[in-house]
Amino acid sequence: MPEAHVRLRGVSKHLGTHLAVDDVSLDVPEGAFVTLLGPSGCGKTTTLRMVAGFYQPDLGEIRIRERVVNDVPPHRRNTAMVFQEYALFPHMSVTENVGYGLRMRRVPRGEARRRIAQVLELVGLSGQERKFPHQLSGGQQQRVALARALIVEPEVLLLDEPLSNLDAKLRVRVRTEIRQLQERLGKTTLYVTHDQEEALAISDQIAVMHGGRILQVGGPADIYFQPASRFVADFVGLANFMEGQVVDAHHVRVDGLILTLARPIPGRGRVTLVVRPEMIRMVPAVQNVEPALQGRVTATSFLGTVTRYWVAALGGEWVVDVPAPGHEVLRGEVALLLPSDRIHVLAE
Amino acid sequence: MAVWTRTRGRMMADPGLVVAFAAVGALLVLFVLYPAVRVLAHPRLADYLAVPQNLRWVQAARNSLVMMLLSTLTATGIGFLYALATSRRDLPLRRLFQTLSILPLFAPPFMVAFSYILMFGRQGLVTKTLLGLDVNIFGWQGLWLVQTVAFFPFAALIISGVLEQVSPTLEYAARNLGATESAVMRTILFPLARPGVAGAALVVAISVLADFGNAVVIAGGYPLLATEAWFRIEGLADLNGAAVVVALLIVPTFALFVLERYWVAQRVYTAVSGKGTRIEQPATPPPIKWLLFAACAVVAILVALVYVGVLAGSVASVWGYKWGPTLAHWRLGLAQGGAQLLTSVKIGALSALLTSAVAVVAAFIATRETLPLRRAVDFLAVLPAALPGVFIGVGYLLAFNAPPLILAGTAWILVLALSFWHIPFGYQAARAQLKQIEPSIEEAAQDLGASGLRVLWDIYLPLLRPAFMASFIVAFIRAVTNLSIVVFLVTPRNLVATYSILAMIGGGFWGAAAALTTALLAITLVSVGLARLLLGVGLRPIGGA
Repeated sequence: MPEAHVRLRGVSKHLGTHLAVDDVSLDVPEGAFVTLLGPSGCGKTTTLRMVAGFYQPDLGEIRIRERVVNDVPPHRRNTAMVFQEYALFPHMSVTENVGYGLRMRRVPRGEARRRIAQVLELVGLSGQERKFPHQLSGGQQQRVALARALIVEPEVLLLDEPLSNLDAKLRVRVRTEIRQLQERLGKTTLYVTHDQEEALAISDQIAVMHGGRILQVGGPADIYFQPASRFVADFVGLANFMEGQVVDAHHVRVDGLILTLARPIPGRGRVTLVVRPEMIRMVPAVQNVEPALQGRVTATSFLGTVTRYWVAALGGEWVVDVPAPGHEVLRGEVALLLPSDRIHVLAE
Repeated sequence: MAVWTRTRGRMMADPGLVVAFAAVGALLVLFVLYPAVRVLAHPRLADYLAVPQNLRWVQAARNSLVMMLLSTLTATGIGFLYALATSRRDLPLRRLFQTLSILPLFAPPFMVAFSYILMFGRQGLVTKTLLGLDVNIFGWQGLWLVQTVAFFPFAALIISGVLEQVSPTLEYAARNLGATESAVMRTILFPLARPGVAGAALVVAISVLADFGNAVVIAGGYPLLATEAWFRIEGLADLNGAAVVVALLIVPTFALFVLERYWVAQRVYTAVSGKGTRIEQPATPPPIKWLLFAACAVVAILVALVYVGVLAGSVASVWGYKWGPTLAHWRLGLAQGGAQLLTSVKIGALSALLTSAVAVVAAFIATRETLPLRRAVDFLAVLPAALPGVFIGVGYLLAFNAPPLILAGTAWILVLALSFWHIPFGYQAARAQLKQIEPSIEEAAQDLGASGLRVLWDIYLPLLRPAFMASFIVAFIRAVTNLSIVVFLVTPRNLVATYSILAMIGGGFWGAAAALTTALLAITLVSVGLARLLLGVGLRPIGGA
């Protein structure tokens, strides 16, 4: 277990009368990429801004490498941040923007020049030194913002929805670059996003937030396949829910059908089960011989990599993603086969 | 050739638009360009060449430039400080300070001077009665103070507009990268405000050069170009001399105007950002905050005294000697000037209506890309902003005293002069609003079969109503309080209130002058109130146009 580099303990923060962050505790290990994921207004940005020092917590404490930083002003923290809107200084060239942190730290001119060249090389902006922000594309502006944060060799790198102003294709490319750069530099990073796909793709650890609280912390696969609550299951990707009655440690009865679960079921009585759309196998009802849910296809949508079906079953609507497109589209009565190792029981 | 043919083809497809274009174009040429040309063409070349030999004029020109430098420096400096202070959301009494700094924009243009004579002059309430001093406020020092107070609001308004564009995130980013509070000011806020400050300085400089009201009231004995033009005509009936003087005045004014419009206005930094979170400004550190507060308070008191002075002047028995209240001045003022007040309102309303109508149509035409010469319309619609009132006054006197169009002596010459002088206010407001309208709205209307004029009538006019009304109110207030144009164009049959007030001040009837000024002020404040009620917004957006 690596030592926690950034540690939040019982942190709460009111913005006006609104309790924006409610008793949040989180460990960011040395060199890890941790993402705060949640819908807008969940408190993720406020949490990040407290780590940067823009807000002071009402309660609790924030430590960076064992030092309590609650009262340390932002300019003494060395927690460089990449802002959602980049916050590039419009009156400064690329060089001046990137060099700003060094200028504030009174780094000698020669060394500053060397480091600016180095970091611009790192983010692939060599040759753009004299341009001003408004002469750059969105992707380039984003890199300037990143370079400006990286150059001060921050203790912790903070990123506040840095990709939300880029178009979809570029977003995927830049996020891969950010992740590669972070791994190469081994920089402890705290990242904020509302995009679950982005969070899954980029993080070592994800903390899902809602209503100012952290609901679950875990690796991307844990969060995705073993959500701790209905909210997490629903927010992180599409999910099918069903109510069932526990029969024994490995069996649940759902509407007359006995489902087998690979992992032992904690607890007894009524439980909620979660299955991801792409984990369900679907066959025409007439060909089916195994025990399965019976349903009717109500709509289909071709998405490229998968075909998405909406199926009426168990008195509700199910979403099923079938890979290998190009196959014949199923219609009418179908059977849904649920794999025993991908049915997850919610703890609540 | 091919381009021209195509343009003509498209123009002819929409005859209504062409007629509107021709009408607005003709009006602008006749009432903006023609008087200006008449002024410049009236003196002979020899008259211009003789200027260096006329010591009084050389002196006036030098004084005008000195005053321009002094007053611009102080007014812009104070305006910047004021704008910086009121851009801090956590400044105590911020709203009050903002309102106080806007008020002088709608006061009669001689009011600061008049009130400061009452407050700080030889009989001054502050100087003589409270402090026991014997101060002569008449002259260039008094004018400097008065112009600073009268014109800092322009600077504050323009610089505020620029500072408000600065995203608070930039401050956070700088702090995040290690900048202290003072480093944020030095490296972020000041440099970002710089183009705004330059623009503000140019606008203030133009206003100072053109300032007639304050100069004539407080610095009548100090030769200046703006007042000299009037003295030429009033005392000597020397139209030729007046034309030479205002032609001299137009040289620096026009140069500043071009500089402002085509150089500085293009350089304002637009914040580079996509959609962003709306984040609160960081708190201002207490020492800086209270320093700014103190500066604002001093300026606000100076502004408030302008109003206190005039109000007190209208009810004090004998200014400087007997302070007991009386209504005698009001009785005298309204008996002598009540009818003129009514004429002022009538002429003001009529001219404001004309201003707004022409301005809105001109703004619409200037955005039609199929029309040739639309840049000329744009130029003529903003040109009056570069022309001092005294220039317009002399211009109309020269242009409409002789065929083809004789208007001299009628109320119409006043209405037209005021209307076309104020066109830029309405025009800029309408252009700004047009920019807010999605082009696809117009495309949708055209797609459904609307012609060019139909689009104006059905789509733009309803959407431009706020700009129209805002321009009406501003034009009305400025017309009612105007002095620099009306002194040239009034006749005994068409006396207006401001002219009578000037005469009363000159004749020593300070109480009656104060009463009439207060009445005039009440009219303008009621108009501002009505505008707020009708538009739901203040006049800030257009006040600095």
